[in-house]
Amino acid sequence: MVLPIFALFAPFALHAQQTPTLPPLLDTMTVELQRAMGSLGKQGADDKAKQAPPYFLSYSVADADSVAIRAQYGALVDSSQNHERVVDVQVRVGDPKLDNTHGTHRGSAVNTVALPVSDDRKAIARSLWLATNSGYGTALDNYLRVKTEAEVRAKEEDTSGDFSEEKPQISVSTPAPAPVVDKAAWEDRVRSLSKIFRAYPDVYQNIVMLTAQSETDYFTSSEGSRLASPHQSARLIVFAVSRADDGMDLFRAQTFEAKTVDGLPAQPELEAAFKELGKSLEELRKAPLTEPFNGPAILSGRAAAVFFHEVLGHRLEGQRQRGDEEGQTFTKEVNKPVLPSFLSVADDPTVTTFGSTWLSGSYNYDDEGQKAKRVELIQDGVLKTFLMSRLPIASFSNSNGHGRGQTGRVPNGRQGNLIVTSTKAVPETELRKMLLEEAKKQGKPYGLYFEDISSGFAVTTRNSPQAFQVIPLVVYRVYVDGRPDELVRGVSIVGTPLAAMKRILATGDKSEVFNGECGAESGSIPVSAVAPAMLLTEIETQKQQQGTERPPILPNPSVTAAVATPVAAGKGL
Amino acid sequence: MPNFIQAASLSLAALVLAVAPLASRAEQTRADAQKDPVLNAMLTELDRNQGQLQLKGFEKPFFIQYRLEDIDDYQTKADFGAGTGEERRRQRVVRVTVRVGDYKVDSSTARGDGSIQLASLDNDPLALRASLWQATDQAYKAALAAYSRKQAALKQVQTPPQADDFSQEKPVILLEKTVELEPRPVDWSKLVAGASGLYRTDSALAEVEHTVQYATAGFHARAVNTYLVNSEGTIVRKGQTAYDESFAVGTQAADGMHLDRSYASNGSALADLDSQEAFNKHAASLVASLAELRKAPLVEEEYHGPVLLSADAAADTIHELVAPAVAATRPELGTEARTKGAFASSLHARVLPDFLDITDDPALKTWKDKNLAGAYAVDDEGVPAQTVKLAVDGRLESYLIGREPVRDFPRSNGHARAALTGPAQPTIGVLRVSAKGGLSDADLNAKLLAMAKDRGLKNVYYVETLGPELTPRLLYRVGADGKRELVRGATLDDLDQRALRSGILAAGQDPYVANYDGAIPETVLAPALLLEDVTIRRANEKNDKLPFYPPPD
Repeated sequence: MVLPIFALFAPFALHAQQTPTLPPLLDTMTVELQRAMGSLGKQGADDKAKQAPPYFLSYSVADADSVAIRAQYGALVDSSQNHERVVDVQVRVGDPKLDNTHGTHRGSAVNTVALPVSDDRKAIARSLWLATNSGYGTALDNYLRVKTEAEVRAKEEDTSGDFSEEKPQISVSTPAPAPVVDKAAWEDRVRSLSKIFRAYPDVYQNIVMLTAQSETDYFTSSEGSRLASPHQSARLIVFAVSRADDGMDLFRAQTFEAKTVDGLPAQPELEAAFKELGKSLEELRKAPLTEPFNGPAILSGRAAAVFFHEVLGHRLEGQRQRGDEEGQTFTKEVNKPVLPSFLSVADDPTVTTFGSTWLSGSYNYDDEGQKAKRVELIQDGVLKTFLMSRLPIASFSNSNGHGRGQTGRVPNGRQGNLIVTSTKAVPETELRKMLLEEAKKQGKPYGLYFEDISSGFAVTTRNSPQAFQVIPLVVYRVYVDGRPDELVRGVSIVGTPLAAMKRILATGDKSEVFNGECGAESGSIPVSAVAPAMLLTEIETQKQQQGTERPPILPNPSVTAAVATPVAAGKGL
Repeated sequence: MPNFIQAASLSLAALVLAVAPLASRAEQTRADAQKDPVLNAMLTELDRNQGQLQLKGFEKPFFIQYRLEDIDDYQTKADFGAGTGEERRRQRVVRVTVRVGDYKVDSSTARGDGSIQLASLDNDPLALRASLWQATDQAYKAALAAYSRKQAALKQVQTPPQADDFSQEKPVILLEKTVELEPRPVDWSKLVAGASGLYRTDSALAEVEHTVQYATAGFHARAVNTYLVNSEGTIVRKGQTAYDESFAVGTQAADGMHLDRSYASNGSALADLDSQEAFNKHAASLVASLAELRKAPLVEEEYHGPVLLSADAAADTIHELVAPAVAATRPELGTEARTKGAFASSLHARVLPDFLDITDDPALKTWKDKNLAGAYAVDDEGVPAQTVKLAVDGRLESYLIGREPVRDFPRSNGHARAALTGPAQPTIGVLRVSAKGGLSDADLNAKLLAMAKDRGLKNVYYVETLGPELTPRLLYRVGADGKRELVRGATLDDLDQRALRSGILAAGQDPYVANYDGAIPETVLAPALLLEDVTIRRANEKNDKLPFYPPPD
């Protein structure tokens, strides 16, 4: 066919960048995409019969190779590997000012199919054709609805367009190598880590999981972007569950991340951490129930990181500043102080480590093919910008490389590596003194110390915006009269957490990293947050609602000394 | 009549077969079972719970059952000539059922009660026992809550239940050898890739290559070993393997109507599958048939009259209409009904013509050298499978039942089977439809044409294959001269239990063997059926738009 040849040359003429040789998959994707752009909207006997052509088309392929090893109760329950290639086809019809993704129709723009794992051009092209055909039909349908809705609806508050103008990106890197995992060795390690909980019989359930993933993301678009971008990650997760005698559910979770499994901590370090978790749950079981409290508190660095991710980070996502359903907490606060002036918050996907700790939220190109950028969100307490995808908002019309989402979803502005820094940092011993002073000042017998808190993203992934909640897991009372710190359980934070953030008095001088999975409308993505410990003048807490289940009736089999005498059983036929 | 005698002696042989395997084995004991590390862990934890599990102030369980499924699963798929990946997964899942109350009234509900946990792949006794411990604890607490709800519900109705909640059965100890997936003689990924690419690699299919919209092939192999112990003393270890190779292809006719063809070759051993050549040949013929289907005219708007179902189509019809109806489960609380479903009140009534018999015979393992997927020895409640004469001379004489009794059927006949991790429910095993005075294919066709002539019909119909929900896939209009013409876009109406009861005029001789490799493997053996009055009409489904642009070369 003549058309594709012309289409092939056009984009390259637009910019001087030298185009590298495309790997076969990316090349096939590109050829087929250009054929689609050249053919769609051109079929039809006359102008009346012709459909509106797409103004934008992109193919995004995730070629992922993964290994998973999982143990429970001290033995293996799963050891598997998987290699798959999946393509997200995104079709836009209309124009950047108003297209088929407008408002509630955003999710309809992407459809996903499996692709061959080999570079069979004919099979790949056929699958892409089928998916594009289907996606185009959906896009036309949704665009029609968008136009109708625009006519009948009152004027929207934010009249920004639906798609920002951006430069195409070209970058072809070597594909990520398949994960190298010594299966037998790691099965043994995961097994024995899970066995550690046998020494803590009240931890009645535990899951230990190792995952190693190598993914290469291929991206091609009708604007001329051509990307091949590798990413590797390995993660060890432990999740341990217990229950107090009064029915309260208790859990602890911890994750360890690295680029490959070789980067994960050595076995003795992991064993020590797991033993700590087991001990901690046993202690929590015996800990007294908390009482309602309103007073000063310290969040550990890890707790502060989770807190900032959940309470601040999500509210700075670009698309949340626009749309009828959104809270829009910060929409009108640009260039206004939103935090104490000694605090700054940046999101930087371009760094891969913090000190010696690997960061989960790193990437080179986001899921819309935009280059990752370090973004100064809050400078000296003043809100400067948001996390932007290609969805423009009233105050910002361009992406800053934070358009992220899991396979099958249209990307939204999301976090990467959220980094909180402070110019009012004191050693933690000093911070503790300040807590006690503040408690005395307020006439409280104690202040609280939040050592660990959880959110929707630690090990479970939640896709609903209720992930703004944080669940305190390990909390201590720090007494003014000098008696030892006392562990309490059942603490739940009340009131607007945002208000609490404005009451940060000072921070510690050492930052801690929290790595995990983040869930929101565009799905589950890996992220991190980095923060120092923080002293808050006021936080309000209450007792959390108790579970209704009793703990297990019989003791854990691992504590039964002798085998129970067998009940007389029938002998069969 | 020769056919009748043949059928009877075959049944007798089958009955003998059903008893033989269990009697010929040396009596197995609990001590034998304890040599198996999985069974040993299950028995240890069962004993502990049976002896000690009790919530203070509440009753102990009167029945506990553990069922562990060890699943080894391999799958590979391909589209358009290239593989989209393969996966091998090994997993163990335990399902625990606890009953509180007694055999007359217990905590069981209609949903099927059970707590599920992943279990250790290692034969680590403490880990296995921990999964069972957790599941038993959850199941017991759920049973206590369900029992008090049931007692409250019983007080709300005037009509008491007409059967006990749980049947009394003799405990069974049966230890079969474990099964494994056969080693791969071929690269299955390559095979399915090849089959899915025939539309473009087979030169004979060049005409249709451009019109094919999807072409997909898959191979699936699964070995499941089931371990079952209960507090009555039953101990069962049994295994089953299933292999399945499938192909599907589709396009649209010029008017937008979707045209789909699919085919599967399956069995319990690799040898049961079609050879590679046979499978590819069949797949190619399916692709080629798309060309015929595209050219085929639309079926007439509406037709009422004689329809001949091929044995293949008849088997699907029986599977759809009769199989669910012969399973007996507990009826709604407070009603006089015997059971649920289409045959709920049909005991001793005629449900088929008097020249048809239906038997469910799980002991029948092969039919003319073909392995039958639905054959098994012991069901998933630990009850040996019985051969059940369901319909004699067209009258319903029995139901397939598990340990949930219904009026007049207080005992299980070993037909309660479960999908993986699911509750056991009465299901067919090997359902055989046999005809007295069955006609040859030629005679059936002659009869069909004779009916056309008698009723002054321009044409009658022949159904060769059906798809899901009894949608015709290959339907032929048969002219008065016997000439067959393929038509498309039809749906069958009035093909229901009434049509089976009073509309079957004749049946064929040789049954078609239909193996269903679904959640629970089943087999239906059925001859061709000639029905007097079936409605065929246009499906009139919404015709999607044809592709917006042509496929790549």
